[in-house]
Order: sequence, then C-alpha cells, then structure tokens
Amino acid sequence: MAEKITFTINGKLTTVEVDPEMLVIDVIRDVLNLTGTKRGCDNSVCGTCTIVVNGKATKSCNMPIKKLAGAEVLTVEGLAKGTELHPIQKAISESGAIQCGFCTPGIVMELYGLLEEKPDAAQSEIENALSKHLCRCTGYEPIRDGALMAQKLIKERK
Amino acid sequence: MKFKYLGKSYNRPDAISKVTGKAVYLDDIRIPGMLHAAILRPEYAHAEIVRIDKTEAEKMPGVVKVVTGENCHYHYGDNFKDLVPMAVKKVRYIGEPVAAVIAETLAQAEAALEKIKVEYKPLPVYIDARDAMKPGAALVHEENGEYWHLPTLKPTPGTNIAHTYHLKKGKGVDGFKDADVIVEGEFNYPLGSCAAIEPHGSIVWFKEDKTIEVWSSSICPFIIRDDLAHSYGVPVSDVRVRIPDIGGCFGYKSDITVEQTVAWIASFVPGHPVKWVASRKEDFTSTLVAHGIRSRMKIGARKDGKLVAIQNEVLHTGGAYADTAVNITIAATHNSAGPYEFEHCDLTGYTVYTNTPPVGAYRGYGHQEAQIATERMMDLLARKLNMDPIKLREMNYLVEGKVNALGEKMWKSHGDLMTCSNMVKEKVFSKPKPAEDENYYYGRGFAAVMKSPKGAPFSTKSCYMKINIDGSISVSMGGAEVGQGLRTVVQQVTAEALKIAPERVRVYTEIDTQYSPYEWQTIGSMFTTQGGRAIVRAADKLIAVLKNTAAQVLKTDVDYLEYDGDYVYLRNDPDIRVAVADLSRGYITSDGITIGEYAHAVSDARLPRYANPDENGQGSLGVNYTFGATAAEIRIEKKTGKIIVDKFTSVFDVGQIINPKQIRGSVMGGVTMAVGAALYEKLDISEDGKINNPQLFKYHIPTYKEAIPMDIEFIETPDAVGPFGARGVGEHSVIGPAPAIMNAIRDAVGIDFFEIPITPDVMKKALEARQEVK
Repeated sequence: MAEKITFTINGKLTTVEVDPEMLVIDVIRDVLNLTGTKRGCDNSVCGTCTIVVNGKATKSCNMPIKKLAGAEVLTVEGLAKGTELHPIQKAISESGAIQCGFCTPGIVMELYGLLEEKPDAAQSEIENALSKHLCRCTGYEPIRDGALMAQKLIKERK
Repeated sequence: MKFKYLGKSYNRPDAISKVTGKAVYLDDIRIPGMLHAAILRPEYAHAEIVRIDKTEAEKMPGVVKVVTGENCHYHYGDNFKDLVPMAVKKVRYIGEPVAAVIAETLAQAEAALEKIKVEYKPLPVYIDARDAMKPGAALVHEENGEYWHLPTLKPTPGTNIAHTYHLKKGKGVDGFKDADVIVEGEFNYPLGSCAAIEPHGSIVWFKEDKTIEVWSSSICPFIIRDDLAHSYGVPVSDVRVRIPDIGGCFGYKSDITVEQTVAWIASFVPGHPVKWVASRKEDFTSTLVAHGIRSRMKIGARKDGKLVAIQNEVLHTGGAYADTAVNITIAATHNSAGPYEFEHCDLTGYTVYTNTPPVGAYRGYGHQEAQIATERMMDLLARKLNMDPIKLREMNYLVEGKVNALGEKMWKSHGDLMTCSNMVKEKVFSKPKPAEDENYYYGRGFAAVMKSPKGAPFSTKSCYMKINIDGSISVSMGGAEVGQGLRTVVQQVTAEALKIAPERVRVYTEIDTQYSPYEWQTIGSMFTTQGGRAIVRAADKLIAVLKNTAAQVLKTDVDYLEYDGDYVYLRNDPDIRVAVADLSRGYITSDGITIGEYAHAVSDARLPRYANPDENGQGSLGVNYTFGATAAEIRIEKKTGKIIVDKFTSVFDVGQIINPKQIRGSVMGGVTMAVGAALYEKLDISEDGKINNPQLFKYHIPTYKEAIPMDIEFIETPDAVGPFGARGVGEHSVIGPAPAIMNAIRDAVGIDFFEIPITPDVMKKALEARQEVK
C-alpha cells in the first residue's frame, strides 16, 4: 500500500515511496534522515516538529505525508546557505534563546513562516507565534529578543 | 579583580549547530542494523504478575523478540540495589516495564505490544508516604532491608520505610525549652515532572565481542558504564557509553534508570543495537518524577526574634524504588533549616516506598521542597512576633562565622546573603504596594534561599587539555551539556586560565567514556565550581610543562620564566623567549632533535574536605554554598482567582560572573519552572496509582504567555573553591518562587497556603471560603 509521493524539500524535488498515512515527521526524520526536525510530545503540543509547508509554519507530527504531494517544504536544514546563517538563525543563536536547543528548530521555522511572509508583523503576532512552542530552559524572554532582532535583520535585508 | 575573558557574553560554542538543526540528540542517532523497542506498562500500580502470554505478539510482522523480566536475577542501583530492569513477579508502579517487543521498526514494535496478554492480581496501592508508612501497610518491597545499600543508609525491614535520616545539632528537640514563641505547620511540594522537551532515551548494543556500547541522553555516563559492567559481569573498560547533545535535563536524566531497562531488552538480541526513546506519556510515567515531599515543621524563637530551635519531619513519597529518591530526602531534611542559624536542630527524613514512579533529581534537589516550609514559617513567625519578616530573617542569616545545621561554619567566601537581602528589600519593598482595585488584590512576598553542594567521596570532575601546533587549545571533560551552558564555561575559564583567547579554545562536544576524562556525574550545580577548578589545575600543569621545555630551550631554570599565552620568556628580559606554539609537541630544534614533553595535561577536582556525616548527621558536606534573596510581586484576579506574577526579583551572590547573558538566562529559566510548580504543575495521580495527566496538554508547563517580567542581579564575593572565585547557581533560582508567591498571597488577601500548586480554582475557593467566614 506504499505510494509514491513527490514534493520539494529544501529546494530539492524528492519522491518517497511510503504508506500515504505515514506522518510527515516520520518521513522527514526516518526516510529522508533530516533529523533537525524534533519530536517532543505525542499530541502536537510542544511545537518542536514545526516545518514550513508552502510558506506556512506547520506541525509535522499530525499531518499524513499524502498531504505534502506537490508541496514546497522547508525544514531547519534548508535555511542556511553554507556557513551563512539565515537572519532568524543568526538572531536566535546570539540572543540567548538557545540553551538545550531542542525546541530551537521548531521556533526558527515558526518565525520563518511568519517573518518571511510578513516582515512587518506586529509584536503581538510574533508573541502569538511563539505561544505555540514550549521551551523549558529559557523563560522565553531571550526567545522574544531573538525574534525581534530577527525581524529587524529581515527588514534591513529587504 | 579584572579578568580578560570572564564577565563577557560570548556566544555559546554549540549555538550554531543547534540553530541549524545539526546538533545530534539521542533519537537522531542511526546505526546500521539498529532495532527498535517498545515497552509494555502495567494496568495496575501494584499487582502480582500471574501470567504473561507473548505468543500472539511473537507472530506479528517485523518482530524479532518479545522480552519479559522472567529469569532476571539481578538488582541494580547506586545507593540501594533495589531496582530491576523489568518487572519480575510483581509491578510496583503504573509506568514500570512489564515486557518489551524488539522489532525492525518502532511502528511494528508498538503494534505487537498490544498483543501481549498479562494477567495480574491487584495489591493495595499507596500514593502518599503518610499512608504507606502506617503500621500494617502492605509492603511494596517484601525484601526491604535485604537489598545491598550504602553503609550510611538505614532501611526498616517489614515496613515501607526505605531509609530514615536523622540530624541532631545542639540539644535537638530539647532546644525548644529556650524558645519564647513556637510556630508549626505542615507543607507539601507534590509530585511533578522535569518535563524536558526532549524525552529520555537510550541505545544499547551488546556486541559479538562481548563489549557493550551505550548511547544515552544522560548526565552520568560513567555511572552507567560502571553499573552495566557490574550487572553483566564484564570489565568496566568493556562498556563504552557515549552522550550526544541533551535536550534539557533539569534532573531526571541523572542516575541510571532507563539504560538498565534498554540493556536488559538488548541483551536478548546480541549483535544488534536497540533503541528506545520515551513517548511523552512514558516520559511522565516511566522516567524519574520529582518532589513528593511533605514537611511537618516546628520553629522556636526568642521574643527578640533570635531563632533557637527547629524540628522537621520530612515524609518523602519516594516511589516504587528508593535508589534515586533517598539522597533527595536527605538533602531536603538537612537543608530545611534554610539560610538560617539554629542553635538546636532535630531533623528527620523518611524515604518511603509508594506505588508511584520513583522520585529522582529535579533542579533544586530537595531544597525548594524543604525551604517552601522554612520561608513560609519565617513569615508565620514574624507575624506571631509582630516583627517585620525581613528583619526577622536578617537577625538569623547564615553569615560569616555562623554555623549551619550540619555543623559547618560559614566563611566569607560563601557569599554575602545580607547584601542580597538588602538589595531585594530596596528593589521591591522600599515603595508602597499598589492598592486593591476593582479587579485585583496586590501582594508582595520575600524568600531567602540557600543551596548546599551534593557530593560523594569520589565526586570528582576532570579536565584534559592540549596545545596544538598553532597554539590553539583542545579541551575535553566529562561534564554533560544539557543546555545549562557548560561548554561556554569551559571555553571561557580555559581561556582565562591559559591566557589564550576563547576563539582559540575548542571545547568537546560529545562525551565518550573511552576518551573523555572521568566525571562522577554532572549534578548539583557543581560543574562551574569543581569542573572550573579542574580546568585551572590542568592549565597550571600545562603551563608547567611548557616552562619545563622552555627552560631547556632558553638554557635557564624554570623559576626565572614567565608565561603569557603566546610566549614563555625570561622574566628579566622578555626578549629572550620561545613561542608557545613551538613548545606544543615538545621543542623541535633546527637539526630535528625534539626536547621536552608533548604539551598536554590532565587534572581533576573534588570539593574540599567532603566527608560522610557522623551518627548525628554532623559533618562537612564540602563547604560550598550559594546564597540569594528573592521576592514576588503578584496580583490576584478577583473574578477568577488567577495569580499573576507581575515581577519576580532574584539577587544571588555568584562569586564571579563568567557569562552575563548565560547566567541571566539560567536564572530566568529556573524561576519560570518554579513558578510553574507553584501555580499549576502537579502530577495528578488517582488513588489507584494511575497518572491522569501524562501529556503536555494536561500537565501544563509555562508557555510564552506565562513568561514573567524579571529583575535579576548578581553580586560577586569571590568563592574559595571555584575558578577565579565563581560558584554554582544552576539550581538556586527554583528555590524562592513558591514560598515568595505564597507569602505574597498572604500579603494580598490574608490567606495562608501550605501546599502548591495554587491554581485559580484553589485560589478562588479559598477566597470564597474567606468570604463566608467574614
């Protein structure tokens, strides 16, 4: 009952042959070996599995792979160009937002989905986006600082 | 003192690998031939296993082996060998491993798990130490008293009491005769979870050559190595444990727990690595849980506020196995005197077997559980004495020259609690609090905190460093990076000690017991202190090696030489010198003859004068303490009972700041966790031992929306042990929030709480009850 499903991931056209009900996170991690996308819970609560699908931040742990047919997918591995970090990565890595780093990929992808689409997002929109993610280490303030710094870098870039 | 590389916010050496998704955590490890395990958990929290039928499971697709605890004849543990890797004959808590399926994929293993049939005969269930220690209670361990244990531990056979700890200082309870005023209270810090975002897990591989390889998201690789070698009868050197990046710990990934279970499972399929990673549910039910501590405290003082005597009885719901709980009981008991001097102490702690998951370390390790009582009691006592609660504390702080409950005299180098306290007083209490308005009550509460070290006779940390051909440094240690920022500390302290810029210091990433220098385990907020001291010692040795070689090159005695990171030179004529880089592999002369040693060094550091306590619990715990003061400014919403922390203030004496950004982050994270514990986190366990909220959408941990504005400051009274005066602060931030918030609630609405969490429901009911009394 495996089916061929084709999508673009991190700029590369990819076909997988899997059970169409297999969860996106399992395909990404176990079939494509992109282990930057993490699993932190059983029920789409923690947000660390977040990827970007057609420009939108999406939790990958509750979506069957068949829904990705023809989609444009981005995971945390697809952001940096060689050693040049994406502005969100640069800001998050410098603001103190990283301690254990396990929630980090999901937060980076959440912010990518928001800020690449809407560089002028209000602070309340950034805060709503961050509210979808659990971090046990930081107390969130340095993550907010990183997000605001990232927004500034993205605006300056454009 | 001014330092070149300390007190500056360098970025973490691991920040880029983490932000690019390239940091490798346990579940990211893939090994050729690796199989996957799923573990069956019982339907009852306490029951005899009558029969396990695995025939249907064995027929399922992809299944390689179905494993039970049958024929498991060994126990393991560090303090009590009361643990088994998989249930044998009976189950003692709801998350215990009963059976496991090894399959080619995890999905196959999980599917087969459902086909295992187990017949149980239920037994009485205890979820609270108070019930389990009653005379006549059914025994969680019939074997209590027979297990191997450390000579200092005292089980009571025929009961559920695994250990009784007793500390007596001065006249003990007789000291209350000298008191004019006595206050009493019973407090509870209920069971909770560390709930790191990365669930715990391990990979174990019994290899054909009889060696064992392990990967684990654990902070104690050397304990795992030693313990598995003991259980499986192989030389310690034949067990190799590797630790990848760890996605948060906060305590529960310490000790040896899931590794033994995965090893038992993997031992049935030698030649194959077997991976098991906890589901979030299992992370709550089947790894270590936290707290579970009740305190019955009595404090006596003279009329003028001078504290005289303290009595405390700690009842610890230790869970189904006591190995990991017992030291928390002990820490909670002797630290229940808090940051105060009492002439007379009588402190008793009971580690009690219950049918709940075993309690293990949680950031704070007994301190917040005990000091929730002490700090509430200070406010209760102040009220009875009609004194200002901070003034009462000031009279009794453990400042220089005072003697704590253990009988250790405080040194100036333990830090300046009085200044911390004064700073918090000035920041929070020097202005009037907001007046009650239509929607809110307002209150403020104070809590002073103290944390003692956690040691053992062999609790050392080591450092290996070498200078490379270009003068850059490679440094390896056995300390586990769980997010706390230990790698940054290693980088900056090494740089300072060797006078070489941090950019030229490369810090280790993974730990490997084959290559990493020994470390007992990365616990107790002690890495900066002990690990930092090990770095300084290794650096001193390394510099001595360089000087010895340079003395031959420069044809002089060693004691005429100086070192500045770039050169070793003659003190009186710095132009006579040799570059450090040229000394790295020994010094190679122009004709190719090499003189001197390869430039590397290894060293370790323990806490000074650590010793086991005497029969009254008096002794030296390692003379390393960190003190601080905290305060909560809160609002209580009248309509909902919701408590909003408007600001939380923390001031700690950390000796010497190494990285300002990082140390602030550490305190913010700790305060956030502890506010979660104070206001909403609690494992909801029903009378039959089932856990009703083992998911993150039910067990609520603080989200962005609950982040709290914080005022955090540090003062620097240099420590005598830590590197360049620095001391540990990783856990201390979690101690103050619960009592400070409870004291603030009393200030706001006149209601005394003795137990957390204080959810909106709890608060609302208390407000309504108060209304009725009026």
